[in-house]
Amino acid sequence: MSDGRIYRGAEVTADLQLSCDVCIVGSGPGGAVLAHELVGKGLSVVMLEEGGHHTREGFDQRESTAYPRLYQELGNRSTDDLSIQILQGRSVGGGSTVNWCSSFRTPDRVLAHWRDAHGVEGLTPEALAPHFEAVEKRLSIAEWPLELMNANNRVLWDGCGKLGYQRALIRRNVSGCANLGSCGFGCPVDAKQSMLVTYLKDAVAAGLTLYANTRAERFEWNGRKVTAVHAEVMDEATDRPTGRRITVRPKVAVASGGAINSPALLMRSDLFAQGRVGKRLFLHPVVVMGAEFEKPVEGFRGAPQACYSHQFLERGQGKLGFFLEVPPIHPMLAATTFSGFGKDHQALMARLPYVQAMLALTVDGFMEDEEGGTVRLRGPRDRRLKIDYPLKPYHFEAFKVACREMARIQLAAGAKQVMSLHADPVVIRNEQELAKLEDAPWAPLRLRVVTAHQMGGCSMGKNPDQSVVDNRLRYHGMDNLFVVDGSVLPTALGVNPQETLFAIARWGSHHVAAAVG
Amino acid sequence: MRSVMYLPPSGQKRRGFLKKGLVGGALLALGGVGALSLRKGPPRDLPHEGLKVLDAQEYAVMAALAARIIPDRPGFPTVEELGTAAAADAVLQKTDPSVQAEVKQLLRLFENAVTNALFGGRMRPFTALLPPAQDDVLREWRDSRLSVRRTGYQALRGLLLAAYYGDARTWAAVGYPGPVEVKAP
Repeated sequence: MSDGRIYRGAEVTADLQLSCDVCIVGSGPGGAVLAHELVGKGLSVVMLEEGGHHTREGFDQRESTAYPRLYQELGNRSTDDLSIQILQGRSVGGGSTVNWCSSFRTPDRVLAHWRDAHGVEGLTPEALAPHFEAVEKRLSIAEWPLELMNANNRVLWDGCGKLGYQRALIRRNVSGCANLGSCGFGCPVDAKQSMLVTYLKDAVAAGLTLYANTRAERFEWNGRKVTAVHAEVMDEATDRPTGRRITVRPKVAVASGGAINSPALLMRSDLFAQGRVGKRLFLHPVVVMGAEFEKPVEGFRGAPQACYSHQFLERGQGKLGFFLEVPPIHPMLAATTFSGFGKDHQALMARLPYVQAMLALTVDGFMEDEEGGTVRLRGPRDRRLKIDYPLKPYHFEAFKVACREMARIQLAAGAKQVMSLHADPVVIRNEQELAKLEDAPWAPLRLRVVTAHQMGGCSMGKNPDQSVVDNRLRYHGMDNLFVVDGSVLPTALGVNPQETLFAIARWGSHHVAAAVG
Repeated sequence: MRSVMYLPPSGQKRRGFLKKGLVGGALLALGGVGALSLRKGPPRDLPHEGLKVLDAQEYAVMAALAARIIPDRPGFPTVEELGTAAAADAVLQKTDPSVQAEVKQLLRLFENAVTNALFGGRMRPFTALLPPAQDDVLREWRDSRLSVRRTGYQALRGLLLAAYYGDARTWAAVGYPGPVEVKAP
């Protein structure tokens, strides 16, 4: 097989008509691993990626470059009412280009829940084990050593130690990591083993043809078969259509645009699965606590995530569990994420090197009748999607407990003061003042809620009346359409998602290949 | 004057107003901040390079908001020096037209004296208020019982803070050393 290539939008100067075995829409963790496996079987694969192709040379470690280039909606994706800010990748490599490298196998209890509650068959710990092993080897996934842990993570580690809370080191997909702390802006030394430098690189060498700046508009289909994928080429600078079009006629079509974008592509194609497409969107809704220390924390340096705590992962019936990690702290994201305005906000920014931050990620999708969020189209030609995620009393119950526990951990680790991300921040200086959190307003847009993990929207399961794709990741009722990405997850995970997506894509590649015939 | 219609009309327009779009592309999008040609001078002067999305009145509100969200502070560059309001305008140019319309509408609501009279008992437009009263208006939006006002506050606040702190000239003020020099692997 001849070498493949990555084309930029500007290189497409005429309309293109292409044929291939498999057309994959999206180059993130799902699409990249899938493409790699398929070209390895000798199949011809065309991949379409809406974002640009950016590499090490262009990763300048600047927020002001990274957010517009490498994130969905220039870094501003959010729910319609702005109550949840959604950080999601958008470039060749998808989320893997900008994520913080945390790698976890799918917890067994999650797989068991999918089997029992959602009729998911075949995704067993035994079935996935060889896939986890393969990707861990290829991506050099290994525990980040305690001696290299930065001070920002150390607060979580030490605080949990003092309080007797469960804690553990995070495994990361890096090779030769320089501990710069700029994972979120693209790795400038190619140490992060993202899709860009691993599976996509290998797949291109083995024949994958990838068109960047190319936005898939819709699948054309007839009866049970997709017959074409229609896409428009975008201008790299303006992100507006150039007028050039690419039409791919594959034997098999795959949506790998991730939660949010894959459901949207299906809906643009008039594929709604009786209204289930775009439902059950789960986000691990995150609340944050800030803390000020006497000594420098410098949360902008070092591996962003090096440890976690699962102390509060399961909190009993009717309650959302949560897990604890930390985020890197850079000026632009810190300024917009921390609350307040004017003098108080500036005073905090002036102390940025002394500021620590902690995340509580709530684990959504496991309670009975919990529906999560929805993705919908605004209009047939409107690129902007309508994302809703109603925050319910059980979210705020978990947020309040999580903020209190994070404050306790930060204080135990020596914080001078701790502040919530309420629009009007609650400031806590000691254990007694934790009670102030009780009186704070626990409601949408009064407390900052963010997410960097998007899951669901095309959920997987045996029963066509309850799911969008079947146990082979095939769209119910279609012979040659698959969804291979985070949108097929029936619930959130309770751990960072990337490794789950790699493994599911590798597992699913056999089903996709079989459909080529 | 548009009577008590501080809320946009019901139906299509209001849905549009409520949507995320208030900020749409704006919030963190101030990517090109550093590349803008910026000039010094009183904030209400229009930028040399001209306005791209906002009109002069909307720009004045944006500049007034910038001056309250990021007031002068020793060691910090001023919003005038960085041209923060102009940077916000430039960012809006990259966003969807519907986002632009919503931000313009939002700025006019902020300025609207009737809105201010309704919610804060003030009869003057936002840009004509003294700084402490402007801060009160910001807090009223922030703490409003109407989620649409809280959304509006978050949108403009985020837009301006991203415009300001996305500019490398603020790094010294916040003790951020900037990118690390790296060698190719």
